[in-house]
Amino acid sequence: MTQALNLVLGGVFHAAALFLVAAGLQLVFGVQKILNLACGSFYALGAYTGIAAVNAALAAGVPAPLFLPVLVASGLALGVLGPPLERLLRTIYDRDEAFQLLLTFALVLMLEDVIRFVWGAAPYQMAGVYLTYGQVRLGTATVPVYNFIVIAAGLAIAAGMGLLLTRSRFGGIVRAAAENRGMAQALGVDMGRISTRVFTLGLVLGTVGGALVIPAGAAVNEMGIELIVEAFAVVVIGGLGSMRGAFVGALVVGVLKAVAIAVYPEAEMLAVYLIVIAVLLFRPTGLFARATA
Amino acid sequence: MRITRRQFLKVSGAAAAAGATVRLSPIPAFAQSGPVKIGVLAAKAGVTAPVGESGLRGTQWAVERINAGGGILGRKVELVVEEESNPKDTVERFRKLVLQQKVDVVTGVVSTGVGLAIGPAAEEEKRLLLMWDGTTQKGVEETIPKPRYAFRSVDNEAEAVMASILAARRFKGRIKTVAGINNDYSYGRDNWAAFLAIMKKYGMNVTPVVELWPKLGETNFTSHVATLQQAKPDLVFCSFWSGDAPILLKQAHAAGLTASTKLVMTTAGGVHEQLKKAFSPEGMILGYNSLYFDDPKASPLSKEFTRWHQEKFREWPNYESDHGYFTVVAYKAAVEKAAKAAGGTWPTVEQVAGALAGIEVESLSGRRGYRADHIMEATYFQGISTHRNKHDFVTLESVETMSTKQIQKPSGMGLYDWISSWTV
Repeated sequence: MTQALNLVLGGVFHAAALFLVAAGLQLVFGVQKILNLACGSFYALGAYTGIAAVNAALAAGVPAPLFLPVLVASGLALGVLGPPLERLLRTIYDRDEAFQLLLTFALVLMLEDVIRFVWGAAPYQMAGVYLTYGQVRLGTATVPVYNFIVIAAGLAIAAGMGLLLTRSRFGGIVRAAAENRGMAQALGVDMGRISTRVFTLGLVLGTVGGALVIPAGAAVNEMGIELIVEAFAVVVIGGLGSMRGAFVGALVVGVLKAVAIAVYPEAEMLAVYLIVIAVLLFRPTGLFARATA
Repeated sequence: MRITRRQFLKVSGAAAAAGATVRLSPIPAFAQSGPVKIGVLAAKAGVTAPVGESGLRGTQWAVERINAGGGILGRKVELVVEEESNPKDTVERFRKLVLQQKVDVVTGVVSTGVGLAIGPAAEEEKRLLLMWDGTTQKGVEETIPKPRYAFRSVDNEAEAVMASILAARRFKGRIKTVAGINNDYSYGRDNWAAFLAIMKKYGMNVTPVVELWPKLGETNFTSHVATLQQAKPDLVFCSFWSGDAPILLKQAHAAGLTASTKLVMTTAGGVHEQLKKAFSPEGMILGYNSLYFDDPKASPLSKEFTRWHQEKFREWPNYESDHGYFTVVAYKAAVEKAAKAAGGTWPTVEQVAGALAGIEVESLSGRRGYRADHIMEATYFQGISTHRNKHDFVTLESVETMSTKQIQKPSGMGLYDWISSWTV
C-alpha cells in the first residue's frame, strides 16, 4: 500500500511541474489565442535562474532553509521579461497560426542559446539543499519533504489561480476577454494592458514551476523542449484554454506515467499518448473545454 | 595610387622570386597549398551538446599544438566547424564541408543516427570521415560493411562490457537480483542486453526484476526510483551519460535507494563533475570511457591537456576530448606516413585512408589507433567511486584500465556471439 502511495506521489510531483507550465500555456491561449511554445523555455529559464540565485544566496551566507523563498523570488523576478516578450508577440496576434508557432518556436531556440551562453552546455546544479527539510518514511519508502512542498505549492497556486479568475475583478476581465475580445474592448477594457498582464502571469507560472522543481534535479539545456511535449499532452487531454483542464490533464499525465513505469515500463511514454489519442477520438475538445461553434 | 605596368611587373617578379625561395626550403613541395582544412561536425544543442563541446575542445587543443609545431608537413591546420543536429541536416552540412569548403577530412559526430546517415555520404563523396562516437551496435553492424573512407569509433557498448566484467568480479555470489534503468534507444537497450549476457557468461545466476526505459532527455525519475525501490534489486545497472545521471542519483539518494543497492554506472563519468558527493555514493562501479582526468599513471601529454582544460574552462575534461584529439592526431600521422611512402608528395585521400588503417599514435588516454576494419582502439578507465578526494564530486578509488582489444568485439563478429564465445 505504502509502495503504491510512494509511486503515485512520484507521479503527482511530476504533475505539479506540468500543471504550472500547462497553466501558463492555457492562460495565454485563453486571452491572446496564441499557442506559446516558449512556455517550456520559461520553465528552463526559471530552473537555471533559481539555481544561480540559490547558489549566490548560500554563498552570501543565507541559511539553507531559506532557499525556498529565494527560489520563488527568482522565479517571480523573471516576470520582468513578460512585457517586452508580449510586445514582440503582439506583432502576430492577428496573423495566421503558423506565424505564431514560428515566432514562439524561434523564442524557444533563442532562449536555449541564451541559457547555453550564460550557463554553458554542461548540466547545472544547486548546492545540496534538496534534503534540507528532511525526509519522511512511508513504510519501506523514503520521500523527501521537499517533494511534498512542491506538490503543496502546485495545489496552492492552482487554488490561487482559481480564485483570481473567478473572484477578482481582474479575473472577470480576463474571462470576458477570453470569451469575446471585441466585446470586452468595446466595453472599455484596455486589451493591451490585459494582454501584457496575462502573458506575464503565464510566464511567471512557468519560471516559478522550473525554480520549484529544480532542487530535486539538475538543469539541462534541453529541459524546456522536453517539457513542452508533455505540456501539450496535458492541454490536449484537459482541453485547450481551460485551467481546470490543465489541472486534471497534468494529474492524468503524471500519475499515468508513474503507473505505467511500475506496471509495464515499456509503455512509459506510450501510455500518455494512448490517452491523448482516445481523447482526440472521443472528445476532441478535451475533457474541460467547451466545444466552439 | 595608380600602379603602372612596369611597377606591376617588378612587384610580381619579386613575388615570384620570393615564391622560388620558399620552394627551396627543406619542406617538400606538394600539389596542395594553403592550410589543411579539417571539417568538424560538433553537436551544439540538446542532450549531446556537452559531448560535442568536449570533442571540440580536444580537437582545438590538437590543432593548436600541431600548428605550433609547424603544421602537417609544413601546412597549417584550419578548423571549419559545423553543427551536428539531425541526420538529414548533418549530411547536408557534411556535403557543404566537402564540396564548398573543400575540407581535407571531416571529424566529429556523436549520435549513432547521424553516423548511420553520414557514413554512406562519406563513401559517396570519397572524403575521409573520422567519427568521435555514435557507434552503437546498429551503427557498426548495419551501415557500409566495408568502409573505405569512413572510420568509426569504439563500439559504444565496450564500456558496458567492461563494467559488467568488473561487476561480475566484484559481486560474484553477492547479488541475486538485478534491475536496469537505461534510455529507450539502441545504446541503452544494447548495454543492458550486453550486461545480462555477461552476467550469464560469468555464471552469476542473477534474475532481472525490473527493466526501466526512460526516454533520452528525461529529467524526473521519482517514479522510476519508486519502482526500483519496490522491486528491491541487489544491483542497479545504468548506462546514463548525460544530465540524467546526476538527477537519477540525486533522486535515488533522496529516496534511500543508494544506501541499500549496489550501483553500476557504465558511462556517468561523462558528467563526472556533476556526481556530487552529497548524493553520489561510494562503492559504485563508475565508467569514464577513454579519459579519466585524475589518473595517477596518466602520460605527461594527458596531464598537460587536463591542466590546460581546467585552466581554460574551469572544468576537468571528459572522454570526448580524447576522441576528438585522437582523430586529428591520427590524421596527421597518416598523412605523414602516406607522404613518406609516396616519396614526399602530398598523399591522395585513398593513400591517407590506407595509412590510417592500422595506425597507432599517442592520445590523451595513452597509445590508441585504428584497426584494419576502421574501428578505433583505446584504453578504457573505470573503477569504484570514492569520496576521498579534494573535489565536491566522486572520483575513483583505484583506476582499472582495459584495452578495447579485451572489451570490444573483434572484426566480423556480432556482439552477443562474441560474448558467448568467451571462456571465463
